[in-house]
Amino acid sequence: MKKVLLIFSVLSLLIFIRPALGLNSNNNNDNITSSVSVDQVNQEEEISYNGAFEGIKQFYNYTGFANATLGNIIMIFIGIIFIYLGIKFDYEPLLLIPIGAGVIIGNIPFVAGNQTGIYETGSVLNYLYFGVVKGIYPPLIFLGIGAMTDFSSLIANPKLMLLGAAAQIGVFATFLGALYLGFNLPEAGAIGIIGGADGPTAIFLSSKLANGVNILADGTTVKNLIGPIAIAAYSYMALVPVIQPPLMRFLISKEDRKIKMKPPRAVSQKEKMIFPIVALILTTFISPSSLPLLGMLFFGNLLKESGRTERLADTARTKLIDIVTILLGVTVGASTQADIFITKDSMLIFALGAISFVIATCGGLLFAKLMNLFLKGDNKINPLIGAAGVSAVPDSARVVHTEGLKSDPSNYLLMHAMAPNVSGVIGSAIAAGIILSFLG
Amino acid sequence: MTHIPLITDQISEGYVILISGLLIVFGALLTLSLFFKFGLPIILYIYKVITKRKDKKISEIKVDADEEFTGEIAGAISAAIHLYLNEQHDHESAILTIKQVKKPYSPWSSKIYGTQHRL
Repeated sequence: MKKVLLIFSVLSLLIFIRPALGLNSNNNNDNITSSVSVDQVNQEEEISYNGAFEGIKQFYNYTGFANATLGNIIMIFIGIIFIYLGIKFDYEPLLLIPIGAGVIIGNIPFVAGNQTGIYETGSVLNYLYFGVVKGIYPPLIFLGIGAMTDFSSLIANPKLMLLGAAAQIGVFATFLGALYLGFNLPEAGAIGIIGGADGPTAIFLSSKLANGVNILADGTTVKNLIGPIAIAAYSYMALVPVIQPPLMRFLISKEDRKIKMKPPRAVSQKEKMIFPIVALILTTFISPSSLPLLGMLFFGNLLKESGRTERLADTARTKLIDIVTILLGVTVGASTQADIFITKDSMLIFALGAISFVIATCGGLLFAKLMNLFLKGDNKINPLIGAAGVSAVPDSARVVHTEGLKSDPSNYLLMHAMAPNVSGVIGSAIAAGIILSFLG
Repeated sequence: MTHIPLITDQISEGYVILISGLLIVFGALLTLSLFFKFGLPIILYIYKVITKRKDKKISEIKVDADEEFTGEIAGAISAAIHLYLNEQHDHESAILTIKQVKKPYSPWSSKIYGTQHRL
């Protein structure tokens, strides 16, 4: 502690003295030309004192205290709230804590032009942000997710895949809502994907559509909405345990909540190996624009299931995804620089994001009820698992599980909920591909 | 490829995208689920034919070969194995590295060694 104080005081001394020294060296030139007198020296000293004072003033002008705006302070406060939520309530701490720290980092006030901020070309943060702007991080995250995910419950019960598709109604409904609110087509598409409840997909699509670079047909450039969209997607994903349960209780009757599903059959390794290959070929033939996401997802899953590449799968699902999550979280957080982030558009995006989550959850739940009309006896599904069709993996499946346990303590839905959950990931990636191919 | 010239009304284009997009998403996942319902057994059947050269009807080959063995049983067995393997550590000797070695002769205990080699 003493050492730290010592170093700090030496540093501050140096900083205060520097302007004085700098001024002296300038005045030396004057000294050569002007005649040396005692009077002059006195004046010199006064000037150098003034100079030191000026230096301190200049230094103050460089500090955050002088440059802070109300926006910065609000955003720093929001960053602290994110960190608090992550630590205290355990809402997706792996996301909220890096993002919260990033929000603070991005909103420290600074003087523009010194290659500090994330939006200044050449700054370190800007280079890290490159992976977000160009959509590099999301496919890498998907690789890790693929290497983590067990698709066996989906293979055992393929009809549950439709629940993942039903939840994508949130994407398209939000897209329409954004159009009505006056966003243009590409921006609306990027906002809509928040309803997919999939952070990486949202970043991927917004980096392609609403990146502030593309030029529209009428000659205007699209707005840069990556920051607000990513923050909205991730914060609502973290809030899944808050948003979904009331909707479940509202839409699904007590008897329906108690339905027990028969345990999924055991799936052979051969089927698990065939799944990623076939699914990759089928889905990307239908929606080639989602190739970066789905290609990496199924590639990661093949690494896991092939049984021969355990080392690669292990790296993809631990080290690699951790590294990318850290970079992604911090840079997305830092991209919320107040002067760019706090706008009317951001507020609208946040409102639309909440609505899209609600619509997606309702879509999944209602479709599950609809499916139940056609299913008989043992094959009936518990409509609660429809809510897991929004792809927030594995949080929404966990929420479904706890909600099921509340109505019947012996009803374990986690395994069943994972099926619509992972198909939701596939569904939202396909939806992103479709929107991209229409509007990109 | 034909290009539809400039649709001025964004909202109507939005509806087009809404409907076609939803249809495509449903279509894609429906194909996928249909494939795993019906296509996969055929693939497995063909694979069996190729490898074993035994004629069998598609209906004879069941993907769900063992109806009784469900995921729950697998979960229970693996939990038991996991617990058992973890338990084993309790019976291990705590002393892993230190071993008592007895030697008949050692320079540490020898008087002659001590007299010849001064420290």
